[in-house]
Amino acid sequence: MVINVKNLVKRYGDLVALDHLSFQVKEGEIFGLLGPNGSGKTTAINCILSLLEYERGDIEIFGKPMTPDAYDIKRQIGIVMQNVAVYTELTVYENIDYFCGLYVPDKALRKKLVQEAIEFTGLNDFSRFYPKKLSGGLLRRLNIACGIAHKPKLIFMDEPTVAIDPQSRNRILDGIMELNRQGATVVYTSHYMEEVEQICSRIMILDKGKAIALGTKEQLKDMITLGEKITVEAFSITDEQIQSLKSIPNVLSVHYSGNLLVIQSGKGRNNLEAVLDFIKKEGIQFGKIYSELPTLNDVFLEITGKELRD
Amino acid sequence: MFAHIFKYRMKCLLKDKETMFWTLLFPLALGIFFNLAFSGIGKGETFQTIPVAVVDNEEYRNDTVFQTILQEVSSGEDPLFHLHVVSEQVASKMLEDNQISGYFVAGSPVTMVVKTTGMRQSIIRSFLDTYIQNMSLVSTVMQKNPKALKALTDDLFHTVSYLKEVSATDAKPDNVASYYYVLIAMACFYGGFQGSRDISDIQANNTDTAARLNLTPVSKMKTFLVYMSASLLIHYIKMLLLLSFLVFVIKVNFGGKVGFILLTTLLGSIAGLSFGAFVSALLKKSEGIKIAVIVGTSMLMSFLAGMMYQGMKYIIQRNVPVLSYLNPLNLLTDAYYSLYYYDTYTRYAVNMGCLALFIPVFCIGTYLIVRRRKYASL
Ligand SMILES: Nc1ncnc2c1ncn2[C@@H]1O[C@H](COP(=O)(O)OP(=O)(O)O)[C@@H](O)[C@H]1O
Ligand SMILES: [Mg+2]
Repeated sequence: MVINVKNLVKRYGDLVALDHLSFQVKEGEIFGLLGPNGSGKTTAINCILSLLEYERGDIEIFGKPMTPDAYDIKRQIGIVMQNVAVYTELTVYENIDYFCGLYVPDKALRKKLVQEAIEFTGLNDFSRFYPKKLSGGLLRRLNIACGIAHKPKLIFMDEPTVAIDPQSRNRILDGIMELNRQGATVVYTSHYMEEVEQICSRIMILDKGKAIALGTKEQLKDMITLGEKITVEAFSITDEQIQSLKSIPNVLSVHYSGNLLVIQSGKGRNNLEAVLDFIKKEGIQFGKIYSELPTLNDVFLEITGKELRD
Repeated sequence: MFAHIFKYRMKCLLKDKETMFWTLLFPLALGIFFNLAFSGIGKGETFQTIPVAVVDNEEYRNDTVFQTILQEVSSGEDPLFHLHVVSEQVASKMLEDNQISGYFVAGSPVTMVVKTTGMRQSIIRSFLDTYIQNMSLVSTVMQKNPKALKALTDDLFHTVSYLKEVSATDAKPDNVASYYYVLIAMACFYGGFQGSRDISDIQANNTDTAARLNLTPVSKMKTFLVYMSASLLIHYIKMLLLLSFLVFVIKVNFGGKVGFILLTTLLGSIAGLSFGAFVSALLKKSEGIKIAVIVGTSMLMSFLAGMMYQGMKYIIQRNVPVLSYLNPLNLLTDAYYSLYYYDTYTRYAVNMGCLALFIPVFCIGTYLIVRRRKYASL
């Protein structure tokens, strides 16, 4: 077990930011912490890293209790924090070298590691730039390079893709999977469910400091009653037709507004064929048709009664 | 590890424009401003005879040269001094009651006692300096040629009339130097910016880079000590630059005790850095608030030490003497001052001693706040 968190409770004054959080992270996985803004992801990471005080709870990393001066543990950890943390007075290269040097005293080895980190994050053309001259996406990449240059065994990434362009985002996500392939265990937080679905092997969903679900994405989707959702761009649907659609077995609800017909089925049986047959039989004119399986948003919605997205 | 952190810290600090402004450019600009302002000081004032005393002791009675010269400059039309020859007790009482501006004690060398600083005290000082400088020369000449006394008094009169002119016209009298002493003391305390930045850069609840540092396998205290060393080196160099500018360009007279002046500046730099670190550790607020507090406190301390109005220093010395010891910036100013005005080191040592006491207070205070290892919130 790489990380073992037991009954973690953290308050900010009256606000309970983490409410008896318990989970484990296994070696070699990409563990996702998914939750809306303010759900406690950053707080959880900072408590695990012994940066924040907490009211109660036990935290072990690599089987040993984590404390502020557990330098043996810290040496094997890499952190990419939510906020970009680099020195404006140092260049890209110098920033990476400075932080890497706090882990790796050997100069020759460090030179190689810094170069690798620069290549890994695609900052080759910018190594002499000062942070002020970098775009948001490049800054995020520098932030990542500073956190991972020393080749840590365990990497924490707190919303590394927030507020950047899709191209940089994909590059970062690919990078994380690559680090994981090279052997690193990753704890990844995000409020974008697509990202978490895309890269995480296991996911914990947080809401208001509580863990509301934990498992692989299949397991999470299995927890809820919803199944396939079919959306049809249809012109003129009568109330009788809606009633007939509702009577198809396993259909939970049918909504029609603004030329969009949405048919939500329950878990298990899929109804795309039945719906298509019905449309043909009734001679309904239609445009696009598409079918979606439940998302983590649906999981979140069903458990908490609200949307994951703000 | 030390070298690695030190190297990058130096790079950061040397490129930190805001700190560079406050700790170097701002004091330089103030120095230039003072220089412009003082070149007009004293205009239109007429010279007044200065009441002084000389202690009537064995040495004085035997020192005919000094007797003669004092009498010379205290007589005639528009004399330099109005001289009282009294016992040491009476002289001291008169000084206390402000009946005289200072008194001389004969001996080898002749010394002087003043209570405050100011134009008159500067003149007394210059008189004595000139006297002592010429003394050895004169006493040898005197034995061979008694008429040489005339030459000495002429020389003194020369100086005296020059001094009178200086005080009455537009040149720089030496007491203006006091303003520059406060200025460099203030600049030393502006080192507080660097001390403050060092704290912000290691306290995880202050900056993001500090949070990152707290997660590395290097202890926060160790990093902090390296940061402070780099800051001290840079700040001390800046203060030496400022000192050179004042001495060589503006021609402020700091006296000749170079070693002590460098030591005073070093102690001042350390005091300034630790002061800033302490304020910064105490406040935990945004960088803007910390800077405002450091500038504000330094300005207030400078004001009380006589930066805007020299009289302030004496008002405080007279009415709330304890405040002049509780104001580290005043102690530093007075250390420079006593190096220039006094031959003995007692007053200098008291100032330096008191100033040195502030440093452990600031440092221990900072340590107690900074040593906590986890943060309640970020
Ligand atoms: N320093 C702080 N002081 C008080 N409340 C805080 C502080 N930091 C975070 N919080 C609160 O704690 C909760 C969790 O915040 P955070 O861990 O930052 O969430 P997330 O990272 O999931 O967006 C939020 O309600 C937030 O307002
Ligand atoms: Mg967060």
